[in-house]
Amino acid sequence: MLLQLKNIFKWVNSGGQRVFLLKDINLDIEEGEFISVMGPSGSGKSTLLNVIGMLDNFDEGEYQFLDESVHALKEKKRANLYKEYIGFVFQSYHLLDDLTVKENLEMPLLYKKVKGSERKAMVADMLDRFNIVGKKDLFPSQLSGGQQQLVGVARALISNPKLILADEPTGNLNSQQSEEIMDLFKQLNEEGVTIIQVTHSEQNAAYGSRIINLLDGRMI
Amino acid sequence: MFKNHLKIAWRSLKKQPFFTFLNTFGLAIGMAGGLLISLYIHDELSFDKMFADADRIHRVNADIKFGGEARKFAVTPAPMAESVDNDFSEVELVTRFRTRGSALIRKSDSEVNVKELQTTFADSTFFDMFGIELILGDKGTALKSPNTLVMTKTAAEKHFGIKDAIGQSLLMNNTETFTVTGVIDDLPKNSFLREYSIFMAMAGYEDSRVVNWGSNNYQTFIKLIPAANIDDIQQPLENFLGKYVIPGVQQFMPGITEEQFKAAGNHLIYSTIPLTDIHLRSDRVAEISGNNDIKSIYILTFIAIFLIVLACVNFMNLSTAQSLKRAKEVGIRKTLGSNKTDLIRQFLVESGLVSFGSLLLAVLTAIIALPFFNDLADKDISIPYGNPMFWLLLLLGGIVLGLFSGSYPAFFMSRFIPVKVLKGTSGSNLGGGNIRNGLVVFQFAISVFLIIGTLVVYQQLKYIQNKELGFSKDQVLVIDDVYTVGDKMSSFKEEVKKLGFVKNATLSSFFPTPSNRSDSTFAPEEGATEQENALSMQTWGVDYDYVSTLDFKIIAGRDFDRNFKNDSTSIIINESAVATIGVSPNEAIGKRYTPDMGSENPYYYKIIGVVKDFHFSPFREDIEALSLRLSDRAGSMAVKLEAGTFTNAISSIEGIWNTMAPGQPFDYYFMEDSFNRTYEAEQRLSSIFIIFTTLSILIACLGLFGLAAFNAEKRTKEIGIRKVLGASVGQISYKLSVDFLKLVVISILVSLPVGWYAMNKWLEDFSYRIEIGWWVFGLAALLAVSIAIATVSYQSIKAAIVNPIKSLRTE
Repeated sequence: MLLQLKNIFKWVNSGGQRVFLLKDINLDIEEGEFISVMGPSGSGKSTLLNVIGMLDNFDEGEYQFLDESVHALKEKKRANLYKEYIGFVFQSYHLLDDLTVKENLEMPLLYKKVKGSERKAMVADMLDRFNIVGKKDLFPSQLSGGQQQLVGVARALISNPKLILADEPTGNLNSQQSEEIMDLFKQLNEEGVTIIQVTHSEQNAAYGSRIINLLDGRMI
Repeated sequence: MFKNHLKIAWRSLKKQPFFTFLNTFGLAIGMAGGLLISLYIHDELSFDKMFADADRIHRVNADIKFGGEARKFAVTPAPMAESVDNDFSEVELVTRFRTRGSALIRKSDSEVNVKELQTTFADSTFFDMFGIELILGDKGTALKSPNTLVMTKTAAEKHFGIKDAIGQSLLMNNTETFTVTGVIDDLPKNSFLREYSIFMAMAGYEDSRVVNWGSNNYQTFIKLIPAANIDDIQQPLENFLGKYVIPGVQQFMPGITEEQFKAAGNHLIYSTIPLTDIHLRSDRVAEISGNNDIKSIYILTFIAIFLIVLACVNFMNLSTAQSLKRAKEVGIRKTLGSNKTDLIRQFLVESGLVSFGSLLLAVLTAIIALPFFNDLADKDISIPYGNPMFWLLLLLGGIVLGLFSGSYPAFFMSRFIPVKVLKGTSGSNLGGGNIRNGLVVFQFAISVFLIIGTLVVYQQLKYIQNKELGFSKDQVLVIDDVYTVGDKMSSFKEEVKKLGFVKNATLSSFFPTPSNRSDSTFAPEEGATEQENALSMQTWGVDYDYVSTLDFKIIAGRDFDRNFKNDSTSIIINESAVATIGVSPNEAIGKRYTPDMGSENPYYYKIIGVVKDFHFSPFREDIEALSLRLSDRAGSMAVKLEAGTFTNAISSIEGIWNTMAPGQPFDYYFMEDSFNRTYEAEQRLSSIFIIFTTLSILIACLGLFGLAAFNAEKRTKEIGIRKVLGASVGQISYKLSVDFLKLVVISILVSLPVGWYAMNKWLEDFSYRIEIGWWVFGLAALLAVSIAIATVSYQSIKAAIVNPIKSLRTE
């Protein structure tokens, strides 16, 4: 078991009323799964992803990640945990504009304090694997959307995460670029990486092994 | 990692050239100002500390009230030194200076006189007292014999070259001959002796050996033995009144006791001041050289701190203003695994980089500005390039400032929560708004305060310049050293008076602008032995044309008149003197007073006129009692000219001078200039105020500008929505600006009372001063508000004219 959510609640207080963003979520995810989270706008898809990614807190419930009880961990421990095991891919890529492709890829390794020589090897490896060696010295603004997302995925992957969280990874891409990225995910999944993606597209969801539907913060 | 930080810092700075410039520029201005002021203060604090035993050297002061006004002297009677030396075992050495002022000097084989501006008689112990070594000559004998002198290197070079100096014979003021027996190095610029070039042996000065406790003319320095405490001699020193002074007074007031002397409201207190305190904490009659006031050091320290703090505040504001652009970056970095410490470190590297750049720029600016600053502050400061301590401090200062001003933005930004900032929306809830607003209020409060200060100082100066002086200083040329003409002095005056553009001329040694002063105590004909009738007055020797040349107003009685045979025994007194006597001006006429108290057969002066009070001391002081009497002796001649004839006049008068006093230097000055010099300290303060006020306002504007940019950006979405809903550019600009105006108004409210209080405190130093009008505060407030509007409106309008589609598209 990779992770387990038990009776997760998350709410905000708005005008004296409690508005639930997540309501009684129970979810077990095994290693090697490829899960698509679906649902209409405001159903809590991104919130769920952020909770799983430990970027956001929840108000009630238990969260086990590997052998750790996330809900009981201190901020710093939690950060170390996701730094180690989780990679993020965003709809709007979120590459650092000031850094080249190569430097963007290098960033997570720097934060993990990987040694310089090793770092270079890993970056070179990743550039090779994604076929973007020629673009390593370009800045994000010099790339197309698809290429930027490719770098985004590569960056998420570089520190060998067990889990990739992708929030509408193809939301800003055209259909051909979408397909490329989804194929890539599929391939990664086959290599053993667990993937959870949020998507609006049935077509993309079909790549996954399981679909979770959300409505008003509730799994249906 | 550090290299990475540096690289990223460099890139993000490069990406925002305008903000980086504002940041660096603002900080550099603050640092340069702080650096210059620090150098100035350091120089001021270093005064007289170079003398070997400076901590053991003290000067004896005298506070005296005997009749007339209470006065504080830096000088004491001639026998003071010897008495102190004999009476106190704590005293190791004493030395005296008797200032002689300017003197004309010529070599015995030369016809040409050269002027030395500052000369003094000095005891031979002077070398040991201050640890001064002779370059040439024998310390054991120098200044021991009468009519010998020691001169500084520069003076020696000027007259005959250093090698030939010893044994030269000099004629001083065409009368006394001196032999040069030693040459000393030039005296340090930051010492009280800096202006002296010639020291003459006290041994040849008769007056120095006369035991007279009634006149105060000697600067008396004492050096304590290492174990002694100066406080131990304070009380015994005060006892000198009964021990030495009262017996002297009894000669002309028989039977007077110390108790009676004090009961009449008089006092005479001897005290001491440490040598190293003299420059900043002594403002007495007959100081050796112009001293500064510790207050101005405090004011400057405040200004320096203000300036640097303003610059830092500015840096914080501009940096946090940019943080919106950086919010996304922070979010991404955090999801990539960066922790807070890493981010803080990264932002600190960035601010360190800016701070370092600013430091370089500041040093460069300081180097360029130093000559102007020296001019302004009347200093000779240089940057101590060779002093590693200076560079170390500078670097340390730069680092501290960088960390200090970088820390807030760094902590502020590293706190961003990735989920929030990555949504790409609103910076409105990033927080820190109150702190930023507080910083703006702080900046503007200081600026408004400085504006008020500038206005008040400027007004007071203007008041002084335009004040009714009681005499006319305009178009008056003063020619110095007219005694060198000798017997022909009065014919010189008559010749000058014949010139067409000369209205009048007068010979005297005393002028209302800084000049000689002579204080005497008078007793009335009746009741001379009653000490409360004693009248302490300035007594000036003048000629028949004095009152008319300088335009004094006679308010009772008459002016001196050649037709009255007895006018050599007449005096004219001023209103203050009349007030001290306690009668009306008309009643004063005809009363007889003598300065010859205690004599068997005293001579009397008859009061023939009362002159309207005129200012002969700086406006800081009240007008003292004064009397004018006729005298044949004169040091200078004042010439009243027709307007606009200066150049002609000077060359014509010089022509007459050269025929009547060949070989004598023709020295002159305008009374107006001399008057203005009296207020140089205030002028300087005013210029410094204006310059640093301008700088601080500039910095505050940079900060406001940055904040306005931040605000406009933060509200991009709001502005877009408002525009879509039909708001006009004007409405939006108003909305964006009005928030800042509120802050500025708050700062004005804070700084007005503080400014009012502080400037009234400053004005208290002047006996004659302005009232601070309400318009000063109004003007300061108006200035602050208009500057703020000008700064903010640019950003507001810029934000308001953006096409809403553009600003909403990011959503």
